[in-house]
Amino acid sequence: MNGADDNLIEIRNLSFVRGDRVIFDDLSLSVPRGKITAIMGPSGTGKTTLLRIIGGQVRPDSGVVLIDGQDVCGMSRRELFELRKDMGMLFQSSALFTDLNVFENVAFPLRVHTDLPEDTVRDLVLMKLNAVGLRGARDLMPSQLSGGMSRRVALARAVALDPNLLMYDEPFTGQDPIAMGVLLSLIESLNDSLKTTSLVVSHDIHETISIADQIYLIADGTIMGSGTPDTLAVDDSPRVHQFMHGSPDGPVPFHYPADEFLYDVLGDVNA
Amino acid sequence: MIQFLRSFGGRSLDRMASLGRATIMWFTALAGLPGPGDLRLLVRQIYHVGVLSLIIIVLSAFSIGAVIALQFHTQLARFGAEDSVGLGLALVLLRELGPVVTGLLFAGRAGSAITAEIGLMKTTEQLSSMEMMGVDPLRRIVAPRLWAGVISMPLLTAIFNVVAIYGGLVVAVEWLGGDPGGFWSGMQDAVELWHDVGKGMLKSVVFAVVVTWIAVFQGYDTEPTAEGIGLATTRTVVASSVMVLAIDFLLTLSMYGEFN
Repeated sequence: MNGADDNLIEIRNLSFVRGDRVIFDDLSLSVPRGKITAIMGPSGTGKTTLLRIIGGQVRPDSGVVLIDGQDVCGMSRRELFELRKDMGMLFQSSALFTDLNVFENVAFPLRVHTDLPEDTVRDLVLMKLNAVGLRGARDLMPSQLSGGMSRRVALARAVALDPNLLMYDEPFTGQDPIAMGVLLSLIESLNDSLKTTSLVVSHDIHETISIADQIYLIADGTIMGSGTPDTLAVDDSPRVHQFMHGSPDGPVPFHYPADEFLYDVLGDVNA
Repeated sequence: MIQFLRSFGGRSLDRMASLGRATIMWFTALAGLPGPGDLRLLVRQIYHVGVLSLIIIVLSAFSIGAVIALQFHTQLARFGAEDSVGLGLALVLLRELGPVVTGLLFAGRAGSAITAEIGLMKTTEQLSSMEMMGVDPLRRIVAPRLWAGVISMPLLTAIFNVVAIYGGLVVAVEWLGGDPGGFWSGMQDAVELWHDVGKGMLKSVVFAVVVTWIAVFQGYDTEPTAEGIGLATTRTVVASSVMVLAIDFLLTLSMYGEFN
């Protein structure tokens, strides 16, 4: 495996409980620098929560989250905001600012965090928009964009400050095949051209496999499998196999826990 | 019974927790302002919550002033005391109706809008994404609205008072033929700068703080669903109105009560 210096993110013994539900139980993983790491797992396993923990929006109950050697969990509000300038995150809902047009959305982080002159801001924004193919859409409002377009604008905004770490929350959900292809190639090309580290959270197996260097499979709060796409595809542990091949029934049952079906429908016939 | 006690205790704890969150939010937001770059945001919000509330404030003020003058005039005329209409109108407006009615209208017009806007931003993850960009939404979103409300409402109250007195003048003097000299001189004799105008404005500052605080907190703390926003908006209007009326009673008691 990698030495500690080669990892941008290092998570050790993370536990997180929400209400009575255990979301993470003693979870450890590492994200190597400059690579695309994917975190996969069934819906509702807390993948998004994991991104929020890394971004410091949610504090875990125990465990350590190191980013570049700094512990996120022990940071003050101010330090966290400083740290986040070096992160970009693509939200599932794109989360564009609805009162700003496309250009201003991408310009937002530049205007807030830098004192660059207006000319430079303009050039940078157009560069970022060009990279996602939407330079021509700069004057549109978010409400005029399709789902795929708004996700690309959000991507341009996320990379506006050339972050070290890019996090994608379910980037492929609800995208048509063409938009999906565009997003896939964008994630790869941005990772290479910006020399960033990418962390993709998704449950879309085929798309994720095609771009990830390393994959963690999460279920029930722990890691049930990890490795490169090739090793996971031939992994024969039943749970990994079920997820990777999308079998409807297996160790993860098709049915939500319930009473016996006959009993539920017919009632207690013996009574 | 045990069940009742448990739910009562649970709800009280929830209330205390949200009061705590509101207080933390208040201090964080206040600490975040004002910087020079935030001035533009503040002006924009003053336009949204203040300027855009002008129409409803002016219309209500005129009709309330007119109605009060009408009632005063018909009653006072029976004793030949029509000249006191201006005095009564001014006192009732400056001390009570100006700040209170402005507070209620402001809660309905601007408070609900603030709550819905911030609530929707939260629901669509705009607040989250702002946080992840290293921008504190308390400074960027909440603080300008909080300050805009606190600045706008006393100004709206002043405008309300002026327009309402004009409305009263139109009815009592122009329409019912009262004596303009009596109208103005009665007012001039009775109204004191601090005791009536000043304390009325002080009330309105208090209401401004309470109403905008409730509005931004309800928005910021809303449950991120469509239903949650609806509930939060309702809570803003109801809670602000009740608080304005309750606080007004206490303030009146301490400002104009007999033991004062």
